[in-house]
Amino acid sequence: MGWSLGTNDAANAFGTAVSTRVIRYRTAVIIIAILVIVGAFLQGEGNIGKLSELAQSNKVIATGEDVSRAIEQDAVESLRWKSAIKAAIIFGCAGLTVFVMSYLKFPVSANQSITGAIIGWGLFHANYSDPAVLGVNLPQIGKFASTWLINPLGAGLISFVLVFFVKKFLEERLTTMRSYDMLVKIGYLVAGSIAAYSIGVNSSASVTALYFDAAYADTDVATNILTDARLTAVIGGVAIAIGVLTFSKRVMMTVGGSIANISQIDGFLVIIAMAVTILLMEKMMGIPVSTSQAVVGAVIGAGLVSGVKNVNFGVFKRIAIAWVSSPTVAGLLTYLVALATQNYLA
Amino acid sequence: MFKKGIFAHILISEQIKDVEECLIQFESFIRAATVEEPSPETLRVLAAGVAKCENAADDSLRNMIDSLSGQYLPATRQDIIALASSCDRIANKCEHASRTIVIRKGRIPKEFANDLIEVISLTKQEFALLAQSITMTFTRLNAFIKDHHLLDEIRLLESRVDVIEEKLYEAIYTMDMEPALQDRLAKMIELICDPSDIIENIADQIQIMLITRKA
Repeated sequence: MGWSLGTNDAANAFGTAVSTRVIRYRTAVIIIAILVIVGAFLQGEGNIGKLSELAQSNKVIATGEDVSRAIEQDAVESLRWKSAIKAAIIFGCAGLTVFVMSYLKFPVSANQSITGAIIGWGLFHANYSDPAVLGVNLPQIGKFASTWLINPLGAGLISFVLVFFVKKFLEERLTTMRSYDMLVKIGYLVAGSIAAYSIGVNSSASVTALYFDAAYADTDVATNILTDARLTAVIGGVAIAIGVLTFSKRVMMTVGGSIANISQIDGFLVIIAMAVTILLMEKMMGIPVSTSQAVVGAVIGAGLVSGVKNVNFGVFKRIAIAWVSSPTVAGLLTYLVALATQNYLA
Repeated sequence: MFKKGIFAHILISEQIKDVEECLIQFESFIRAATVEEPSPETLRVLAAGVAKCENAADDSLRNMIDSLSGQYLPATRQDIIALASSCDRIANKCEHASRTIVIRKGRIPKEFANDLIEVISLTKQEFALLAQSITMTFTRLNAFIKDHHLLDEIRLLESRVDVIEEKLYEAIYTMDMEPALQDRLAKMIELICDPSDIIENIADQIQIMLITRKA
C-alpha cells in the first residue's frame, strides 16, 4: 500500500515540475524520498495515534479492554492473529478499490480508501442497539465526509489568497527572463519539498497505522506487529519513499493541468497551498486526507483569481464523484467481507 | 542554479545584427535588380554579399545554441532556440530570394521598383521593432507583458506589405506575358515579401512566450 501510494502521491509534489522539465526526475524523487521519511519521523506519529483511535473504535485493532479480555481468556495469540488478518482485509479492500477504480480511469485517493474501509468494517460490527455506538460511528462518518468539502475548499481558499497576493507582489519585480526562470525553479523546489514533507506527515499513517498496537502502552501486552508510534510512521514513510524511488516516473510525467488554465508561477503556489492544507487538516481533523482533493481544490482556487471562466467545472465534477466513490466503494466492500468473515473475526 | 554564461539576449543580439546586415544587403540587391538593365555581374556580387551575411547569421545561431546549454529552464531554452531559428529564417529567405533571381536571371519590371523598395523598407522597420521586442522580452519581461504595442506595430507594417504584395500580383496577372512567366514573376515577388511574413510570425511567437510567462 505504501509503495503504491508513493508511486501516485509523488506526482502531486513534483509532477508538474518534472513533466515540464523544470526539475529533473532524479532530483525530484530523491527530495521526495528524503522529505517523506523526515515528515513521517517528525510529525507522522500524531496521525498514527489518531488513525489507530479510529481503527480501535471501528473494531479493527484491539483496545485495552479487548486485550484485558484476551488475557483473561488466554487468547492473546488469537487476538494477535485477528489483528493481522483484519489489517490485511482492510488493506486488501482498499487496494482492490484503488486498483479497480484506477483501471476504470477514475482518479482515486488511497488515503481515503483506507479510512473508508476502516469505517466500513466498523459499521458492520457496530452494536446498533447501543446508543453510545452510534455516538461514536455517526460523528466519525460525518467528520470523514466533511473532509471531502473542507479539504478542497480550504486548499482552494489558501491557493486563491496566495496566488492573488503573490501575483501582485511579483508583477512589479519579475523584470528579466532569467529572474523569471530562477523564481520558477526555486518555487517548484520549495513547493515540492513542502509537499513531500506533508505527504510524509499525512500518508505514512495510512499505510502502517493498522499494524500499530495502540493498546500496548496501557497493557504492556503486544497484540500487533508494531508498538512504537514513531517507528510505525517511519516504516510507512520508508514504504512510500520506495514507491517514489522505484515506480513514480510514469505518473509524474502524465500529470496535466486540465482543470484550470494556470501559469507556471501559479503552478508552484498551488502545490504550496496543497501542502499547507494537508498539514492544517492533519492538525484539525486528525485523519489522513486526500492530497489529490487538495490539489484539485488549489488548482481551482488559483484559476478563480483570473475569473470563473478560467475553470473547467466539467473535469471538476468527474473528479468530485471519484472523491466520494473511492472511500464509499472501499467501505462497502469491507462491509461485505466483514459479513462473510463475521464468525471468525468478530 | 543555472550555468553562468552570456545572457541569451546578448547572444541573440549578435545574430540580430547579422540578420539586419543581411536585410541591408538584400535591399541593395533589390535596388540593383529593379533598374532598367540590371548587370548580372553586379547582381551576382550583391547576392554573394547576402549569402555571406546569411552564413554569419547561421554561425551566430549555432554559437547561441551552444552557449545556451545549462542556462535557463528547458522550456525557455526551447523558446529561445525557436525564436533564434525563426530569425535565421529571415536571412535564409533573403539569401534564397537573391539566389533565385540570379540563377533564373529573373527580370523584375522597372515599374515594380518603388513598390519592392517600399516592401524592403517596411520589412526593415518591422525587423527593427522585432529586435526591440526581443530585447524587451529578455530584459523588461513584465513591462512588455503589460504593454506589447511593439508587436501590434509589427503586424500593422506587415499588413502594409501584404497590400503592396496583392497590388503587385494583380499587376502581374494583367500584364501581357506568358502565364508561366507571370507565375515565375509572382513567385519572385512572393520570395521578396516572405521575410515580412516571417517577422510577423516571430511577433506571434514572442506574444505566446509572454502569455505563458504571465505572473
